[in-house]
Amino acid sequence: MRLRLRARPTGRPGRGAQRLGPGGCWATVDSMGKKQMLSRLALGGFRRWISEWVKRHICGTFEFGNDIPLSRPKKKKLKGKNTLASPSEDLAEPAVDRPSEGSEPLTEELKEAPVQRRQKKKRPSLELETSFTQKKTSSSSILRNENGIDGGPTEEAVVLKPRRKKKKTQPTELQYANELGVEDEDILTDEQGSPEQQSVFTAPTGVSQPVGKVFVEKNRRFQATDRAELIKTTENIDVSVDIKPFWTTRDVALSVHRAFRMIGLFSHGFLAGCAVWNIVVIYVLAGDQLSNLSNLLQQYKTLAYPFQCLLYLLLALSTVSAFDRIDFAKTSVAIRNFFALDPTALASFLYFTALTLSLSQQMTSDRIHLYTPSSVNGSLWAEGIEQQILQPWIVVNLVVALLVGLSWLFLSYRPGMDLSEELMFSSDVEEYPDNDKGVKVSA
Amino acid sequence: MLQTGNYSLVLSLQFLLLSYDLFVNSFSELLRMAPVIQLVLFIIQDIAILFNIIIIFLMFFNTFVFQAGLVNLLFHKFKGTIVLTAIYFALSISLHVWVMNLRWKNSNSFVWTDGLQTLFVFQRLAAVLYCYFYKRTAVRLGDPRFYQDSLWLRKEFMQVRR
Repeated sequence: MRLRLRARPTGRPGRGAQRLGPGGCWATVDSMGKKQMLSRLALGGFRRWISEWVKRHICGTFEFGNDIPLSRPKKKKLKGKNTLASPSEDLAEPAVDRPSEGSEPLTEELKEAPVQRRQKKKRPSLELETSFTQKKTSSSSILRNENGIDGGPTEEAVVLKPRRKKKKTQPTELQYANELGVEDEDILTDEQGSPEQQSVFTAPTGVSQPVGKVFVEKNRRFQATDRAELIKTTENIDVSVDIKPFWTTRDVALSVHRAFRMIGLFSHGFLAGCAVWNIVVIYVLAGDQLSNLSNLLQQYKTLAYPFQCLLYLLLALSTVSAFDRIDFAKTSVAIRNFFALDPTALASFLYFTALTLSLSQQMTSDRIHLYTPSSVNGSLWAEGIEQQILQPWIVVNLVVALLVGLSWLFLSYRPGMDLSEELMFSSDVEEYPDNDKGVKVSA
Repeated sequence: MLQTGNYSLVLSLQFLLLSYDLFVNSFSELLRMAPVIQLVLFIIQDIAILFNIIIIFLMFFNTFVFQAGLVNLLFHKFKGTIVLTAIYFALSISLHVWVMNLRWKNSNSFVWTDGLQTLFVFQRLAAVLYCYFYKRTAVRLGDPRFYQDSLWLRKEFMQVRR
């Protein structure tokens, strides 16, 4: 899972190797070091040599300059170890640790790292680690030769960079967005550090630049990914996560309420049209002055009951919708609106009346549905009874059509009016600040 | 706290049962080719009403108001729905029993009497009112205020106590 860059996390350096920086990387001692040692012996005397020896052997640290206090590299060394153990502390690390002149070639090296890893996948992990370290060490010595500077801090950068990348491979992708961006404080435009650190032998920290690639571990391999792309994808995830919480139960309720209002609006118009069509058909079939009632019965008997059922369905929908509009459950408001001759309140009253009237004709509708001429045995329609039964039925149907038509007109006068929504949902808004306060306090 | 997904699911189930109820009330008189068809429709309708009652009570139990022990406040707020649903359930069962009793031998016969007509009108009117009140209650129970402590709740509680 983790990209290991240290060959020997603990212990003393091996033969022919010296510690260079706090990152725990090792480099071979070259002849230059020995020459320097000799010259110093000549110049500084025996006492100085002793202190150098103590520094080198007791602290296990080799420094080209004597000005740097003994404790500093040790501290760095510990820090390096700690950061490996707990990567979360990496973030708090100061930007001074990230020089950048060496960062570009090192990045290239890092690009090679996955390839190398792929090639040596089957080797034991220890071998892999060692080889990787050797490669790194050699590259650092090259760097030193090219730039003519100490590779100490550069080595540090080598170690720190992958550690950062390692963090990015963690499954909690939400951390990406913050981490992937290049912070200003990460980029060094000038040398920083205390005068103590800016001694002759200390490595100058160059101008740092952001690296365009991010290495993400996929299928146990690190693959180079464009920083911008990764940021884009993580931002998209954030957006989708952010949208969801806004769709609350209240919104669901409100959308259902509005959907039903639309159905109601449709049923108002459809019902008015149906009722008018029905009464027109009845009068046409009944003829002038209701003279041809037997014709009406014969023609209309197949239609009577289905229409009665459809009328009930539409009336029920329209009544519920009209009640919704005046918020019928709050009786005081509804009655006040009715006496104030509010069109919506009137319409709901008319719908309820129409519903009652229509239901009262159920028996007659069933009788028409079961119509057989009086000559047939067991007929429900005795001779001369037709006028007596049908006349009130036609009148009631006419009244229902008028009521329904009027209600539709009243509702059309103010189609957007909906007291339920105003009282049930909008009133909540005033109380929401209190609500939020309560939540904050509890949180 | 009530989850949006759960609430949507419950609300759609309630509306499905309400739609079935409205459908049977509207077209059961047409679907009487055989008495068994009407019998099955009526039984399912009554079970649907019962299910709706159970669901609404489960929703009540799920509210913070109920869990805080303010059952009285909840019943005070939704007593119309509870009473009307109970009345409608009773009216439905009695009408169904009566109609099936009359039509069991011959489903296509004329069975209407003044008493049956009256019961029919009341049952159908109660159905519309039940539909309205039940729908309103189901939608209102989506209000997040019922699921958390708030000043509104304390105010309501004080009003009920008065």
